[in-house]
Amino acid sequence: MKISSIRKKALKTLRESHDLSELSKVHKDLLGKKGEINILLKGLSSIPIEERKSVGKSLNLLKVELQDAYLTKAQQFKDDTSLDRLSSERVDITLPGRQASLGTLHPVTSTIRDISKFFTNLGFEVVLGPEIETDYYNFEALNIPEDHPAKDMHDTFYLENGKLLRTHTSPVQIRTMQKKGPPIRMICPGRVFRKDSDLTHTPMYHNIEGLVIEERASFATLKGLIRDFVIDFFGEKVELRFRPSYFPFTEPSAEVDIKWKKGWLEIMGCGMVHPNVLKNCGINERKHHGFAFGLGPERISMLKYGIKDLRDFFENDLRFLKQF
Amino acid sequence: MLITANWLKEFVEIKTSAEELCDQLTMLGLEVEDLKYFKSFSSGEDAVIKLDITPNRGDCFSVLGVAREIAALNKIPLKLPKVKTLNEQIKSPFTIKTHEAAPRYVGRYIDKINIKQKIPPFIGERLKLCGIKSIDPIVDITNYVLLELGQPLHAFDADKLQGSINVRFAKQGEKISLLNEEEIKLTKDCLVISDKENCIALAGIMGGKDSGISNKTKSILLESAFFSPYVIRGRARRFGLQTDASMRFERGVDYNLQKTAIERASDLIKLHLGGSFGPIQEVSKKSHFPKKKLISLDCTKVNKFLGSSISNQDILKTLRSLDITTKPKKDLDKITCEVPSWRFDLSIEMDLIEEVARLKGYDKIPPKSLKSLPRKNSEYKILSLDKLPFLSLGYNEVITYSFIDEASARSCAAVDSLIKVSNPISSTMSVMRPSLLPGLLQTFIYNSKRGSTDCKIVEMGRTYKRTSKTGVKEETYISGLISGLEEKAHWSERSRKASFFGLKGHLESIYLSCNQPVEFTKASHPFLHPGKTASINLKGQKNSIGVIGSLDPRLSDIYDLKEDIFLFEILAGSLEKDISKRFKDFSRQPAVHRDLAFVVDKQLESVKLIRLISKNAGKNLVNLEVFDVYEGKGIPNDKKSLAFALTWQSKKRTLEDKEVDVYIRKIVSCLSKELGARLRD
Repeated sequence: MKISSIRKKALKTLRESHDLSELSKVHKDLLGKKGEINILLKGLSSIPIEERKSVGKSLNLLKVELQDAYLTKAQQFKDDTSLDRLSSERVDITLPGRQASLGTLHPVTSTIRDISKFFTNLGFEVVLGPEIETDYYNFEALNIPEDHPAKDMHDTFYLENGKLLRTHTSPVQIRTMQKKGPPIRMICPGRVFRKDSDLTHTPMYHNIEGLVIEERASFATLKGLIRDFVIDFFGEKVELRFRPSYFPFTEPSAEVDIKWKKGWLEIMGCGMVHPNVLKNCGINERKHHGFAFGLGPERISMLKYGIKDLRDFFENDLRFLKQF
Repeated sequence: MLITANWLKEFVEIKTSAEELCDQLTMLGLEVEDLKYFKSFSSGEDAVIKLDITPNRGDCFSVLGVAREIAALNKIPLKLPKVKTLNEQIKSPFTIKTHEAAPRYVGRYIDKINIKQKIPPFIGERLKLCGIKSIDPIVDITNYVLLELGQPLHAFDADKLQGSINVRFAKQGEKISLLNEEEIKLTKDCLVISDKENCIALAGIMGGKDSGISNKTKSILLESAFFSPYVIRGRARRFGLQTDASMRFERGVDYNLQKTAIERASDLIKLHLGGSFGPIQEVSKKSHFPKKKLISLDCTKVNKFLGSSISNQDILKTLRSLDITTKPKKDLDKITCEVPSWRFDLSIEMDLIEEVARLKGYDKIPPKSLKSLPRKNSEYKILSLDKLPFLSLGYNEVITYSFIDEASARSCAAVDSLIKVSNPISSTMSVMRPSLLPGLLQTFIYNSKRGSTDCKIVEMGRTYKRTSKTGVKEETYISGLISGLEEKAHWSERSRKASFFGLKGHLESIYLSCNQPVEFTKASHPFLHPGKTASINLKGQKNSIGVIGSLDPRLSDIYDLKEDIFLFEILAGSLEKDISKRFKDFSRQPAVHRDLAFVVDKQLESVKLIRLISKNAGKNLVNLEVFDVYEGKGIPNDKKSLAFALTWQSKKRTLEDKEVDVYIRKIVSCLSKELGARLRD
């Protein structure tokens, strides 16, 4: 048989293979150990010596050529299969993904956290205290004597054991002053209670109060601190004012208003700690002075998130909670 | 308190608009709550101003008091109403005796009053605008003077009084019928006005019914007194009788005002109702007037304290504008101040510093930033739920009330540990919660009624328990509730329901994240299913730090709940992160995996097998998982099959199968011997 016709036939069968397995079979028949080419190579010894060299060379060239043709064809089949696979594996990427339901923090908690962050960055310590308090810590030590009209400002819940539910977190300030003494920089967030329930009042809500007792504390630094806080929280453009007010435990006392829409909105109370309060806490009121402030995280949350009804905070409707 | 702008302008000559006036008042500390314009038929364009007077400023409960503030602020003079002094025309049939608690008592007998006369309309109009009901001409005039000057007056029907007037403390149990038709029983600490026989008024609070003015009244005894604040305070509230008079007396009325007020009222009565006037009968106990307050003020302290730079002269001028008299001391920076008789709120140096700041304007004090100090470690570490993986596990934080209804409280704690509120706002908020679980359940019910039964909520807050008669234990807990679907159906996967083991897994993950391995033991809890409740403790520690379980089905029945509900409650302190976390090197050698399934008694707890397996598996066992629990076909009725996946790995070398086979044989024989466990084929 002539090598050229073998070549022609072999290339044709390789080219005309329909798939990878047929191609492999053809490859095996041609180039395998017992394939056509190897049989011919083994048969070289039987042909005349003078032709043997050139026939051998041709056969080896053919072997290389067929192997190349095989590889090209095989690659072609592989490319085709992966293309087929890719096109059949397509998904509808517009279908919705499977969402992990992430939880949410209550807006009051996140507001307390945000407010606390401002103050802790300035070196304020966060202190907690009991929610069930005595008359002494909630009123007397704070310069609110029995029967004083100022006490009427607090609608207090009393307990059967003679104690009461704190109406503000100021008792924590008293406890800290008594325990620690100056200098002090602290804030005390927590639940407080007043016997009041209507559109704008819930019988329980939160307070964050702060206290600074140190050499540099003055009404001017109180104003500076509050201004910096309000700017931090509501942005550079916020307008604020301090106006005189009254709290039995501070003197002078002030309310802080911010410009909100068209009018002024009260957001916190503050003042210089009343000398009687310092005295009650065993701090020499002639040597030391300081200031205190307090605000309601619910109120701040309402402004921040545009919440209209205070009661939403404690109804815990999931449609409300999931928005934060 | 309500006043009108025109009335105010009768006392101070100012041209400012009502709006500006309100601004001035607010910035003086007399907060304007509301401003309403109206057209008065007697004085033209006017405005009603609603003021929120703070309890320290009793002196501002009148047009006069408010006018004083405006005059001081604008440095203009105050105009007092012209009062004609009426001479005595007739004798008084009464003698008056007072008490130390009423250091000044002024009375005036007026006869032949024509009660049928109408008071002039401007008085009626102003009373109405200021929120006071018109009653009869005499009471209307006394109320008018009250609003104008701040002095409460009272008129008795003189024909109904017996002889002498006496101010005294009530006898224990003495009774009086008041003008509001109420009869009250008095205690010894109530100051009263009495005639020869009876109590005729509760001093400074309300007059008696029997001696009240009627349309037949012809003669009256007018009372203008100064009652010391301490004898009025608390009494009005005790009887639920806050009146315009008591409110002023308990905050302090100017003790030099009584005569002026009675003359002003006499003048108005004479003018509009006629009458013959008796003498002004004044009795007083001068030594019991409030002490004249001399306060020493150090001007350098003013500026140090305020952080301002106000000149000494300016300080003096400001104080004088408030009728505070000032006398310089030898040291030029120091002055002695005397406070006017109407200011009950000024007693120490700080009070005067406030007056200076207030009149100068708080906005005149330049703000100064507070310098930051190094951050401190604080309790805030344990304060917030977001420090824990609750949010990534899909929990929504809730905040429920600290008080709950009694039945719920009893359903999760012993009755004698409950703390009750004496004056609850409602019965559903009458007991301090001994647990957060009832609040969470109510939140679930609230939401399920509104269509969301898929619920995953968590709360962190206090519980309150009685430890002795007055002892209280407050503890911070983190509690959660899951119900409904934990994983909603999705086109790619099936839904997954909330379950006990889902919840247990959440807790295991959370504790793991805090480096605190925990153990669960079978337990009971009044709120939870007796067969599906576990107590939680930190590994190696005995005391329980919490509980997990399924809601007691009997409670589900009470609340008519169809859904399975799972709850947990753990002490917040148990989740304090172990901050000493250190990296532990892990093995980089190949691992050997084996699965083992055992058939055991149905009642046997898996933990028993796990402990024995761990004990017999050698030190290179690095992981053990329960991957299957099976009961049913192929397994006897009273048995179950538990399948474990075990992993061995050495830190130093490749383990050989032979070694692991030894452990497997040990495990199988030990479990068979001790627990009767049979290796499943």
